[in-house]
Amino acid sequence: MTTPGAYENRRLLHTRLNVLRVGATIGVGILVVVFWVLQIVEHARYYDIAENQHVRTIALRAPRGVLFDREGRVLVENQYSFTISVVRELSPNPDHNVDETLHRLALVTGIDEARARDEVKRHKREALFRPIPLISHATMAQVSAVLARKLEMQEVVVQQEPARVYPLGGLGAHLFGYVGEIQDAEIDRPDFAGLPAGSVVGQSGVERTYNGLLMGQDGRREVAVNSAGREISEMGEEDPVDGNRLQLTIDYDLQRAVDDAFKSKNFAGGAMLMDPNTGDVLAMTSQPEFDPNDFATGVDRSKWLALLNDPMRPLQDRLLQGRFSPGSTFKIVMALAALDAGIITPDFKVTCNGSIDLYNHIYHCDRKEGHGTLDLRHALEQSCDVYFYQLASMIKIDTIRDYAEKMGLVGKTGIDLPNEVENIIPSTEWKLRAKGEKWYAGETISVGIGQGPVEVTPVSLAVMISEVATGGNRITPHVVKAVDDGQGWVPTTVTPPKMIFPIRPDVLEPVRDGLWMAVNAEGTGVAARVAGHDVMGKTGTAQVISIQGAKIAAKAGMNVHDNSWFVFYAPREHPEIAGVVFAEHADWGATGAAPIARFALETYFAKKEGRPRPALSVTADGAMVVR
Amino acid sequence: MIERRLLPHLDWLLVGALLALTALGLATIYSVFRANPGTQFWTQAYAVGLGVVALVVCLFVDYRALAERSLFLYGGLLLTLLYVAFFGVVHQGARRWLPSIGGFSLQPSEFARIALALVLAMYFGESRRSARSTGELLVAAAFLAGLFVLIIRQPDLGTAITLVPVFLGIVFLAGLPMRWLGVALVALVLSSPIIFWYGLRDYQRQRIVTAIDPWQDPLHTGYQQIQAKVTVGSGGLFGKGFESSTQGTYQFLPAAHNDFVFSVFAEEHGFVGVLGALGLYLFVIVRSFEAAKLAKDRVGAFLVTGIVSGFGFQVLYNITMSAGLAPVKGITLPLMSYGGSSLVATLVGFGLILNVRMRRFTN
Repeated sequence: MTTPGAYENRRLLHTRLNVLRVGATIGVGILVVVFWVLQIVEHARYYDIAENQHVRTIALRAPRGVLFDREGRVLVENQYSFTISVVRELSPNPDHNVDETLHRLALVTGIDEARARDEVKRHKREALFRPIPLISHATMAQVSAVLARKLEMQEVVVQQEPARVYPLGGLGAHLFGYVGEIQDAEIDRPDFAGLPAGSVVGQSGVERTYNGLLMGQDGRREVAVNSAGREISEMGEEDPVDGNRLQLTIDYDLQRAVDDAFKSKNFAGGAMLMDPNTGDVLAMTSQPEFDPNDFATGVDRSKWLALLNDPMRPLQDRLLQGRFSPGSTFKIVMALAALDAGIITPDFKVTCNGSIDLYNHIYHCDRKEGHGTLDLRHALEQSCDVYFYQLASMIKIDTIRDYAEKMGLVGKTGIDLPNEVENIIPSTEWKLRAKGEKWYAGETISVGIGQGPVEVTPVSLAVMISEVATGGNRITPHVVKAVDDGQGWVPTTVTPPKMIFPIRPDVLEPVRDGLWMAVNAEGTGVAARVAGHDVMGKTGTAQVISIQGAKIAAKAGMNVHDNSWFVFYAPREHPEIAGVVFAEHADWGATGAAPIARFALETYFAKKEGRPRPALSVTADGAMVVR
Repeated sequence: MIERRLLPHLDWLLVGALLALTALGLATIYSVFRANPGTQFWTQAYAVGLGVVALVVCLFVDYRALAERSLFLYGGLLLTLLYVAFFGVVHQGARRWLPSIGGFSLQPSEFARIALALVLAMYFGESRRSARSTGELLVAAAFLAGLFVLIIRQPDLGTAITLVPVFLGIVFLAGLPMRWLGVALVALVLSSPIIFWYGLRDYQRQRIVTAIDPWQDPLHTGYQQIQAKVTVGSGGLFGKGFESSTQGTYQFLPAAHNDFVFSVFAEEHGFVGVLGALGLYLFVIVRSFEAAKLAKDRVGAFLVTGIVSGFGFQVLYNITMSAGLAPVKGITLPLMSYGGSSLVATLVGFGLILNVRMRRFTN
């Protein structure tokens, strides 16, 4: 078997086999390096990519906290909103055609079949397992119709998500506010920090101020998805945490009464009731209202624009976002200032002949024939302008401002609702800053009756009258009483009442006499009289524009009627309730605003004393009757 | 009949390494399909059984007897491939399979490496022949070309290319002058731009480009390479664990059970697992070269070298590709990839290698 050259052949064979073996070993060695680089050096980067592409997080929306009134009645809640969608993959047809099903769906739910078909067509290119929403915020009738015919429409599914519901509709709309998806412009706001796009947040009212408490914490479900995005398996679930429940200071019955009274008169304006001792707001309404439910279900653009451009401005909360001339309600501040500063005594008398000449200008009284000779009490009772023109000519504007500040009319009240505007109370310094001019003494005259450059929010007048009720105790109005984070109700911390201006009895009592007489004697506020109760009050009628301007505007068809005010509290001793009614273009405070206050007070006392609550009716001539 | 005295000479270590790699492949295939179990795992398990039987059968027959009939075997395979070319089953645009028998459709081209190795081993086995003469080289090349052309026309470039290392391995061992090898290499390097621009189709060119930089086209041609890297890289040192693949199971990596089975293995068992598997493959290759060295005749040495050259090329290319560093080509990873014909053919090949080593002392 050994032939010549066989040995060489064998050597060559071995050498070349060794070459091949070494080559293979080097190849494997290179692969080891390659895998070391990928798996050790660059591991973190590739791991992140792998995780990100196979884990999908689905947000489980947390229901917002429920709002209750002070007696535990539900004011704002959540409802699971149903979305009816079609999932083509579930179709028994081999080509996933759902036309037949859409036809049936349209029949049982009343939706437009052609539109549903377009919607499906629009999503044609998406993955088959992805639900195509056809009816959002479906009604219970639609949902049950679909569920009952599940067998005929296998590809139709019903999904649910919590949505905000305002069972009272427009009642208290400005107070509660509304919710909506976070806007691009808002994403930088500190209280919305860290919220993902698409979060539903409070946009106004309590919903906005207390958004952080109400929102709760969205949960999430993590699912593994494959490369087509289909869910393969559940990886983990974190339940959503419900938002905190809030108990408002609001009394639903009073809220309803104020609202009904306002609506029966068909006025724009606002009204507010509160406890003058604590600042608890018992009712507040702003008219015209809007329906916050429209926003909760995603307001459509035309509706939104209509609300925004409505000349009646239904979105504005007039109580704290509107600023108006206080008219004669300001006379309370004038009287307190003149007495406390020692400029007059209560017995200081002025004779009213229907007008007065001051600084070479004739100022007219409301009553053309004049009030005759009046002291302070009667001047308040009958709201005599000439008396207060006279007072204004005797007091410096800066003194008036000091007392307005003491009565809570400078700055903001600090109510726990968003976008409160600041009052304008003139002073020499203010005029210099705002107009660059000095204050002329003649300008003080119209300030004396709450005209001129005096503009206040209704809510600040409620604070002012509360201070009269308590003798100088400053309260901060607030609408939330307690919070429940799931562990039980905890009272919210509110700014406690503070004695800002301890009003001397010899100053306070004459003013109170005047307010009592205005309602209970022969004054301007008799429309607010409640039998058996000492209601204290002051009307106000504020010109919207000058007399000449009014004539021009009236020709243009604009509403130039005066604004009507009524500020009040009751009873005289140990006051329990105070408030303000502001009715736009309602003319006289005596006939416009005071009856609304009366109905609210009647309701309050009836409820307190366990009597049947009064009913409201409006006569043919528009007068409001309380039975 | 297998003689009892041969059994002690059976290379049990090599058998163990082969079975271990087969088991790793089977486990990885099982893991890939754990989310939606289909028939793949059991088909592969069935093929493993079939392959082991085929391997044992190959031990029974003396390899010399096979080599002597290698021309018939080669001719038979050529005819089968011709039959496939006309009557084969088309699947995903390629005509590669014989009509299925009992649910198992055979891919004859997988056996081409063995037939080529047998016929070339026989051809150069006679001591007077060597790869030094042009005429004999041309004859050998003709054997290669016959199979190559039929397979590449299926089309199946991947499988056809695996014939080349079988040919090269044997002619190298048969004494191919080194300068010829050098000339061939230089010629290849010089002609590669011409082949690249004129010899390849657009999609083939694109595959080569994306192999170098997959991020040029991350959603289409580069997708598989990127996902292969992500799959391997996300495994880290110890891997995500058995049945924990996300890349393969959730179908981010296409062909995770066949061409890219090693990527998923690396994802689940990490760098540590990769070292183990590469070690096993290297052991199989080195042990086979040892069998070639020990072979008692040239035929045995050439046969072993031809088979292991094809095997080694497939292993190195496929694993490089599974790390996202080579153009995606249908070159499976022998022993681990899904595919019955490939597995059976590979085990038949190793049956012959074991055969050669086992009979090193016989006459």
